[in-house]
Amino acid sequence: MARTRIQGLTKLFKGNPPTTAADNLDLEIEEGEFLVLLGPSGCGKTTTLRCLAGLETPDAGRISIGGKVVFDASADIEIAPDKRSIGMVFQSYALWPHMTVRKNIEYPLVVRKISQGLREGWTEQMARMVNCEGLLERYPGQMSGGQQQRISLARGLVARPDLLLLDEPLSNLDKLLRDQVRSQLHELHRRLGFSAVFVTHDQNEALALGDRLAIMRSGRIEQLDTAREVFERPATEYVANFIGMNNRIPLEFRDDRWCGAGQPTEGTVLSLSGGQRQITARVRPEDLVVDLPHHPLSADSVGMPGKVVDATFAGRRFDVIVEVGDQRFQAWAPSGTDTLQEYPPGMSVRVTFRHANAVFYDTQGRRISEQRSAGTGKAGSP
Amino acid sequence: MIGGYQSRAQRRLRTVALYSFVLALAWMVLSPLVRLQAVAFEDGARGYKVMFASSGIGETLMNTVGLALGSLVIGMVFGTLLAWWASRLPPNLRFLRALPILPIVLPAVATVSGWAFLLSPRPGYLNAVMRMLPWWSHLDSGPVEVYSITWIVIITGFSLTAFVYLFVSSGMQNISAELIEASRVNGSSALGSFFRVTLPLLRPVMLYGGGVTLLLGLGQFTAPLLLGTNKGVTVLTTHMYYAVAQSPTDFGTAAAFGTPLLVFGIAVVLLQKLMLGDHSRFVTHGGRGFRVAGKPSKISAWCIVVFTLVTSGLPMLSLVLLSLSSYWSPKIVIGRLNFDNFRQIFKESQIVDAILTSVSVSLIAVLIALVIGFIVAILLLRGRRHRLVRALLDIIVAMPLGVPAVIFGAGFLFAYTRPPMVLYGTIWVLVVVYVTLMLPFTTRMQIAGMLQLGNSYLEASRTSGANAFWTDIRITLPLMRSTIGGAAALMFILLTHEFTASMLVRSPTNQVMGTVLFDYWTNGSYPLVAAIALVMTLVTVVGMLAAVLIGGKEVFNKM
Repeated sequence: MARTRIQGLTKLFKGNPPTTAADNLDLEIEEGEFLVLLGPSGCGKTTTLRCLAGLETPDAGRISIGGKVVFDASADIEIAPDKRSIGMVFQSYALWPHMTVRKNIEYPLVVRKISQGLREGWTEQMARMVNCEGLLERYPGQMSGGQQQRISLARGLVARPDLLLLDEPLSNLDKLLRDQVRSQLHELHRRLGFSAVFVTHDQNEALALGDRLAIMRSGRIEQLDTAREVFERPATEYVANFIGMNNRIPLEFRDDRWCGAGQPTEGTVLSLSGGQRQITARVRPEDLVVDLPHHPLSADSVGMPGKVVDATFAGRRFDVIVEVGDQRFQAWAPSGTDTLQEYPPGMSVRVTFRHANAVFYDTQGRRISEQRSAGTGKAGSP
Repeated sequence: MIGGYQSRAQRRLRTVALYSFVLALAWMVLSPLVRLQAVAFEDGARGYKVMFASSGIGETLMNTVGLALGSLVIGMVFGTLLAWWASRLPPNLRFLRALPILPIVLPAVATVSGWAFLLSPRPGYLNAVMRMLPWWSHLDSGPVEVYSITWIVIITGFSLTAFVYLFVSSGMQNISAELIEASRVNGSSALGSFFRVTLPLLRPVMLYGGGVTLLLGLGQFTAPLLLGTNKGVTVLTTHMYYAVAQSPTDFGTAAAFGTPLLVFGIAVVLLQKLMLGDHSRFVTHGGRGFRVAGKPSKISAWCIVVFTLVTSGLPMLSLVLLSLSSYWSPKIVIGRLNFDNFRQIFKESQIVDAILTSVSVSLIAVLIALVIGFIVAILLLRGRRHRLVRALLDIIVAMPLGVPAVIFGAGFLFAYTRPPMVLYGTIWVLVVVYVTLMLPFTTRMQIAGMLQLGNSYLEASRTSGANAFWTDIRITLPLMRSTIGGAAALMFILLTHEFTASMLVRSPTNQVMGTVLFDYWTNGSYPLVAAIALVMTLVTVVGMLAAVLIGGKEVFNKM
């Protein structure tokens, strides 16, 4: 079974201060799965990938790729990178400048002595798949970043490895190329069905490409779920913050009602299991809407009074910084409607979010499974 | 699991290979030094007794320190000025940046003898010209006495400017032009910015470069030998040479005279390793992003040209004049100039043999040094286990940078004139010395080249399925072609005008260009000396062109 398993992976970096890049980490990658390791810099995602490749030696743990043990600290097994069935794509492309594109792509076939691939023209096939068949006799130095990264992808896949490793492959490309190569990568995975581990710090890349996402934090996996699940229900506040829910609204049950950032809320109120009196709501900027205080509140929404700090034009909308109590939030407001054309600083507004768009966390940052109850202002008890 | 056992066996094999390699290098570099010191302590440290009993030992020490400090000051001042001027060259005159490196490229024996021909009290060309000036017209000799400690210091100082220049200008390339421009737009003049921003930022570079320059000054041999012998001006290195060259050879005394230099050299190497530590800190930006700060200045171009003409041009000119004359006299008759001297040196088999030996020994040594340097660079950069052994390796290859060549020369002569390996009288003793002297250069340049390559090319090869050995053959070597070529050419230059160590290990049948030149110098055949010096220069220029052609214009910055 061509499954990749990481068990109890631990990697320490001595230094000042010493860092734990992987902390007793467990992970499985199913056959044909595209798994994304997502996290900020320094969370250990690249180290985990490099341990899979054999470019770093873990301090403890066990790794098997395609059913073959490639590392086992307790049995003193460490298979060299070249003896593992892997392909790798680097952030810097790492195409060898002294070889033509053809030589670059066929290199894995040559050094792994896969004569079948050389006979059957896997090189040309791969080049065709990444739309680079016309470039085979040229040198990488003469090419755009997008072309180079597609060639690098072809090199990673040409030997049909059990696992493809991608280390932030899109980060060196500018926005337009990045989107192009990203969709090509997605298409390629759909057609070929290879297993892949993809490291990135970009949530959009992760959501677009990953069958599953592993969000990492200081050497541990904070959440491992499908892209949709991570997007809709981040397991912890850390994940919520990383996946774009940057508005952190502290809620407190006080005087028989919920207060948001110290201000009394109106509209729908939550009833939560566990009876906490202090919780936190996480809301994306696009789900936090600015309107006027006297407007009727739509069903299933929570509103709080606030003031505009600043607003910037962003096409079909305004990006508005609002102040509620002593907290600042990023919200969206429609532009070009009849009701609100401009948002001058100091203007009194109401900030609202739909209950269903918010995710709630306890004081430890763990998600609370909520039981909603409709009601008005004062209703709802902790 | 089999995999586990296999890797354990491989690991053990690698450990054995690493230890034997380091031991072999240690034996090559360190054992001559150790054995030489041992001689100094024989018979109740007789060598030291002789040294301290010798008359004028105090003056010798003073001269040595004075030479080191004096040339350091001259070298630092002019080297830094040259680097500053070079940073302000207009774009179309950027090629002038190569000029200040000339003192390294030109053979030291050629330049020093050139200075002697210019400033010798009586027949010196420049002295003769100066005597035409009204206020010196009454003199029969002088006004400059080149055979004096003052002029040995000045001439040595000029030659050291090149090293300081290399350090400082590569340091300046790592300073963002914006930092200097920020100083300019905030109201500081060009010179003010240099003193307030550039120099303070260069402090670590200056400190390191200054240390190396001081070391070079202490180990100077060429100028003191050629210019000091006449009037009995001695330094430690020349004393060592006399002790070895006299009959019977007195290795104990030679070793004792070398001890202060040896101790100081080792101290500087260790200190430098402690202070600089990790090799990755040598990573530079390769000068590609470098942009001249502020407006270029034509005056700086003039300054560089004039300085080069005076310090390298004049001595070369005197060599040309003398090599075309039948005898050395300040009265030059243009019509009598001819190529007889060149004809004669190519007739003398001794000289032709020396030229051939120089070139062939240098080539062999370069090849060996390249291989050793490549292995050392890989071990130092990529090894993860055996920290202590690798630290030792690092120090061994840095040793010839700190320990003067004259000490290596004496040590190797001692070691290879007796069992277990008698190489004296063959070219191999020269080869071993040359390889040893080149260890710091070959290692440093190849490490710099590998650092510039980065890891991802190699990691891409490993993850593509090539093992470490094939990765080096297929990826590292081809990508390092220009670095290796540049290093080869550069080492060829340095070795073809190697003089110091060669003087000690040469034998009557195994001479190189520099040693033959010295023999003719002692015989007083000055026009022939000039001709040989020019031939040496020519060989060097060919090597330099090759260096620039292969390694690119920045090849010298990697030293």
